[in-house]
Amino acid sequence: MDSQIETLEPEPESEPNQIKQTLSLHTLSSMRALIINPSTPKSTVSLILETLTRSSQLTHHTVNLLTDIATHHPSLSQLALDSLLPVTESPTRLAVEALAALSEPPRRVQIDDRVFVSVCFGASVSAREWMVLNAGYRFGVRPGLLVAVLLGFTKDPYPNVRAGSLEGLVRLSERGEFHDVSLVEACYRRAVQLLRDMEDCVRLCAVRVVASWGLMLAASNSDMKAYWSNEVFAKLCCMARDMSMKVRVEAFCGLRKMEMVSEDFLLQSLSKRVSGFGKQKGTLGQGKSEQFIMLATRVAGAIVHGLEDEFFEVRKSVCQSLCTLTSLSVEFGRLALDLLMDMLNDGSIVVRVQALETMHHMAIKGRLKLHEKHLYSFLCALVDKSWDVRCAERKILKLVKLNDLALFKSSIDKLLENLDSYPQDEADVFSTFSHLGRNHKKFVCLIINEIFVQVEAAFEGNVEFISARIPALLILTVSASLLNADVGSIPPVMFSYAVTFLSRIYNAFSDVMDRDALLAFLCEKSRCTGDSATNVNLGQGEQQLPLFEGDARNEVIDSEIDCHITRELEEVANYPIEQHQSVYNEVINFTNYVLAKLLDMWPWIQSGYTNEVLRSLRCLKEELATMKFDSLGSSDDALAFTSLYLRIIKLLAEVWEHLLPAKRWCSQGMGELESKLGKLDRRVKELKSRFIGFSAEEELIVLELMLLAYALRLCKVENCCLNLTFKRLTAVYALVESILKESSASPSNFTVELGKLLHESSICTGASSSPLQFDACLKLFSLKQFVFCGGIKHIKAVLSILNTDSEHPLPFVSGLPVGIPCEITLHNISSESRLWLRMSMDDGFMGFVFLDLNCFKNSEAVRNFTFVVPFYKTSKANFLTLKVCIGLECSFENVSPIRRFGGPKRDLVLLCKEKQVYLSKVNKD
Amino acid sequence: MAIETLVLGAGQEVGKSCVVVTINNKRIMFDCGMHMGHLDRHRYPNFALISPNRDFNSTLSCIIITHFHLDHVGALAYFTEVCGYSGPVYMTYPTKALTPLMLEDYRRMMDRQGEEELFTSGHIAECMKKVIAVDLRQTVQVDEDLQIRAYYAGHVIGAAMFYAKVGDTEMVYTGDYNMTPDRHLGAAQIDRLRLDLLITESTYATTIRDSKYAREREFLQAVHKCVSNGGKVLIPTFALGRAQELCILLDDYWERMNLKVPIYFSAGLTLQANMYYKMLISWTSQKIKDTYSKHNAFDFKNVDKFERSMIHAPGPCVLFATPGMIVGGFSLEVFKHWAPSENNLVTLPGYCVAGTVGHKLMSGKPTKIDLDPNTQVDVRCQVHQLAFSPHTDSKGIMDLVKFLSPKNVMLVHGEKPKMMSLKEKIHSELGIQCYVPANDETVCIPSTQYVKAEASDTFIQSCLNPNFKFQKCTSVDICNSTMIGRNLIPELKIEDERAVEGVLVMEKGKQAKVIHQDELLLMLGENKHGV
Repeated sequence: MDSQIETLEPEPESEPNQIKQTLSLHTLSSMRALIINPSTPKSTVSLILETLTRSSQLTHHTVNLLTDIATHHPSLSQLALDSLLPVTESPTRLAVEALAALSEPPRRVQIDDRVFVSVCFGASVSAREWMVLNAGYRFGVRPGLLVAVLLGFTKDPYPNVRAGSLEGLVRLSERGEFHDVSLVEACYRRAVQLLRDMEDCVRLCAVRVVASWGLMLAASNSDMKAYWSNEVFAKLCCMARDMSMKVRVEAFCGLRKMEMVSEDFLLQSLSKRVSGFGKQKGTLGQGKSEQFIMLATRVAGAIVHGLEDEFFEVRKSVCQSLCTLTSLSVEFGRLALDLLMDMLNDGSIVVRVQALETMHHMAIKGRLKLHEKHLYSFLCALVDKSWDVRCAERKILKLVKLNDLALFKSSIDKLLENLDSYPQDEADVFSTFSHLGRNHKKFVCLIINEIFVQVEAAFEGNVEFISARIPALLILTVSASLLNADVGSIPPVMFSYAVTFLSRIYNAFSDVMDRDALLAFLCEKSRCTGDSATNVNLGQGEQQLPLFEGDARNEVIDSEIDCHITRELEEVANYPIEQHQSVYNEVINFTNYVLAKLLDMWPWIQSGYTNEVLRSLRCLKEELATMKFDSLGSSDDALAFTSLYLRIIKLLAEVWEHLLPAKRWCSQGMGELESKLGKLDRRVKELKSRFIGFSAEEELIVLELMLLAYALRLCKVENCCLNLTFKRLTAVYALVESILKESSASPSNFTVELGKLLHESSICTGASSSPLQFDACLKLFSLKQFVFCGGIKHIKAVLSILNTDSEHPLPFVSGLPVGIPCEITLHNISSESRLWLRMSMDDGFMGFVFLDLNCFKNSEAVRNFTFVVPFYKTSKANFLTLKVCIGLECSFENVSPIRRFGGPKRDLVLLCKEKQVYLSKVNKD
Repeated sequence: MAIETLVLGAGQEVGKSCVVVTINNKRIMFDCGMHMGHLDRHRYPNFALISPNRDFNSTLSCIIITHFHLDHVGALAYFTEVCGYSGPVYMTYPTKALTPLMLEDYRRMMDRQGEEELFTSGHIAECMKKVIAVDLRQTVQVDEDLQIRAYYAGHVIGAAMFYAKVGDTEMVYTGDYNMTPDRHLGAAQIDRLRLDLLITESTYATTIRDSKYAREREFLQAVHKCVSNGGKVLIPTFALGRAQELCILLDDYWERMNLKVPIYFSAGLTLQANMYYKMLISWTSQKIKDTYSKHNAFDFKNVDKFERSMIHAPGPCVLFATPGMIVGGFSLEVFKHWAPSENNLVTLPGYCVAGTVGHKLMSGKPTKIDLDPNTQVDVRCQVHQLAFSPHTDSKGIMDLVKFLSPKNVMLVHGEKPKMMSLKEKIHSELGIQCYVPANDETVCIPSTQYVKAEASDTFIQSCLNPNFKFQKCTSVDICNSTMIGRNLIPELKIEDERAVEGVLVMEKGKQAKVIHQDELLLMLGENKHGV
């Protein structure tokens, strides 16, 4: 290898005197061979570089070689790129090549306006095309100049330049708002003209501009928003009949961005006949107008045409856009559902899956109302040949609330049919049964006798013992009795039957309890006689049935995240391997979907649609619970974060209700409010301290939520603890300020106002300001988009007490200390963190033991160790029950109400569930 | 220059489509069809109007056939072999493959009915030798001035719209087309063109059809109900097109519902036609094209051949029988036997020509139908009218016209009153001049003509560089008339003045020339003849 390089090396050197002549193609190609060979010595490459830069004129080939040097040899990259700079001065094709090379690994390169304009107006059409397309995001050209040039080139005689400048406009629109409305309107109108261009590629880009700039136009003026939205909608619908498939797809993509459209037009898009001139209700001003009819003709049947389209790409795109559109109008959603049901008969799997996805979205929004007429096509999807279709369908069934018994029964039958024809679906079908049962307790009660007869027969005759039907029916029965439901009519023997299938069915409940908890629950249920079936206390040992509603008792995130899922081996094997890998992405996507949804909900919260918001939140939460997750990946972190975030938003929604004028004076629930605020406080603090790895922006979002929580408290709660809250608020604000100083982020209006308020009050009294001022501040708050990109880690701890349970208590001698053996696993805890073991007793006693992490040298990601906790306060009693848990000291807060002696100086955030330890006195006898 | 359009057939009626267009002395005959409803001299277009002395070879540049239906191709063999036209005939490959079948079938039927034979099998074979097959979007230079190009039209396999260009005059003749795809064919597809004239069919000039999914559901429900009650279903269709469409639909449904009731194709053309479909996969819809390597959609799993003896066999069945519209032949024979039972079902797809049994069944609810003076049939069976049609509906026509935005539109192949209302609509909604000529009428339509001008170097130079300006002008926007209190905001407009800077100079005896405005003075100084 080396010798080869040696022989090649002299070549560029051999003709240093002839550099003034142009280098021959042969020379250039051997130079290229050297450049791209990774083992070429650096000196050779720098020689080549020198030769190239010294050659009298840069050509297309030399520019390419310089680019190659820049990409293959990072150390020389700067030099090579610098030598390209002179070329960019002239408005030639070469200049563009050089510029392309300069901006290659997408980075912003500053070029001055003169170069930009001269390249654009130069004679080379391909250079012009490249420039208009890329000027926006590769070079920091002033938006003002850029938009003018782009707009001008939409008139260019070359279709590629027209398309390029339109594309440039789309990219520009992604960069931000334009305040000159007339400019935005000009761009929009120009794009509308180009919707009738002769060339497909121009029309395609024009559609994109109409969508992006049209919506910008709509957003620019709140009075005209409805008008412009309808205009844009009509323009896009019109393009649904274009002859080019790509244009049609793009038109429906555009519809996905619509934020509002008047219902008349939405409905019109479902019918090819132009109708309903009489019906419109002042959406467009007075009565029927020519304008309305004209728009209606354009809109007519657009969605139907799209769904009937020959190309699956178009049909899929329509189904996707229906996700957004169905959320704009209830009536439209109802009618569109009929069409979507027909799409389940579509020949293309992609379309069928997308149709189901859309219904799933509708279900999340509470817009999915299934009727008798949908039954056939809807349930047929359960026996579809494609795994994806069946899976998507079951995802809907897990969520949906069926409103009549016939529907429920047919769903059960079809699910069983699914199980018979595709045994590989067993795990997911079981889980669907479990959700169905939980969501439709009454219906289960109504058919429990039928189920009972079947199960009974199977157990007596052993006929169907092998089939999966019986466990499925048992799951349905068991799930209906979960969550303290009053289902006394279920024969207790059913639960005993269920026990025999435990290993097969426990996975269906993995989202609410683990195997042992299920066993305990089944045993309990099978024992009870029917009257006292409810409220089983499972507080034995370590298993607890986590409560979904109300979390007054456990201050820890629901155990659904913590609980260990142990999948049995054969079940894991059933999963395709890629399934495992895609789970993480699926979780992240879903997480971001949920976080984006929350953002959409904020205006609703502000305007007091609390019930609607709470319902949506509940759906999202259930959704979240249905997410599969593997216990290895970091998807747990995402789920934990999202679920906590969801809870915070839920609490905020509930608290916010009290801020609204209508509810303001309703005395009901000042105490309730107090408790909600308390919870909010704790949750926000948890968000701050139980996750690490926030970026500055993310940190700010979290801190702002804390500020919000304190401000809410200051504004709502009577003065008992105002001073403390105020101090905490000031402390957090200081933190925010310091982060703002370091990062480039600009503070939100809310933060700015709050800052002023704090400043004023600290000057005047040093104490709190009036609640009214905080109230004004709160109005300014708006939720920010949180995008989960995987960097965030969840801090958690798993604590188990060794060698003891309620049957085998630890012995102690009163008056002498006793050692409690703990096995502790810590995730993502850095050595700087201050961890405490908290021990509490029912009588109010609380003791702390400091966990010195330096003693347990392990990796930061996971630490596992055993630790014997000393407990001194052994009293005279025969039996003691102690609650132990691990807490993390809030590092950011230095204001604490009480300074306990020997304990943590600041508030503790609990990292795991409290574990009970049973102690019994040693008898001397 | 003008486009002279002579409508020989399908003017304000359906049948014997034939339009002769003359542009700059080039004469093109679009379609050469026959009328199924007539048996006299009205059966064929009146060819004498093209050339009184019957010298077709010198008058016609070419014949273009859009698809193989008899009302578009039925008179072709007669025209070439009997009337003596020997110039080129253009059609797509599938049309070329299927046309002889159709013509032969028709000839045999006429033969059976003891009608006078107007052309022989030999004629058909000879005629097909004159046919030049073209592919979709292939531009064919017929002669120096005449260019034609075929575009996909849906409708039936191989159907095409034809674009023709003579000099600067451009036009499109659609033939029959469909703007919504069906189970086996795609939707019509065409480029955006600068047309002077669009001649379009208008079979459903006033109908607007709802989603095809609802129609399919209704059809399947009706058939399913009938067979589950033990009835027999008769589906009279022509061999090609609807038969395959409905069969794909039923075959799919049978598969999904796991039905065991037999589906039959009447012997003859249909099974042979299926074979052609299997070969012409590239002319079908996206889905069939994508999946045919795994499963050819025209390999029907549940379909068998029907024997005459099975007419009286007990038990339910579904039968596709030719010809459509129950004009005679086997479908009429079966109809005679099955119509008297109320358990049975007759489904009539699409359009039925006046005078046929199908048409009688569709209009009103007859209890008795007179087939001929001696035969009368009791009709007790159910009749399901299928809104399945391979023709575009009125919205589709409007959409196509809107997309192409031609300067003039001419409607053919439809019923007069409906065409009139569509004409009105095109004129008022799109502002396009529209013509509805009757048979044997000639319409002259003005067309564009470009004058070739030489361009001076300076002008070319200035054209190469962009040169646009922004103007602020007050918009007078009609669309906004309904808006309340909207101020007239000055609107930003862009002008590219490259073309405006040119000046057209026409000197006597010389070719017109475009020069840059700066050059004009220079030129005027030398030459006083400048305009």
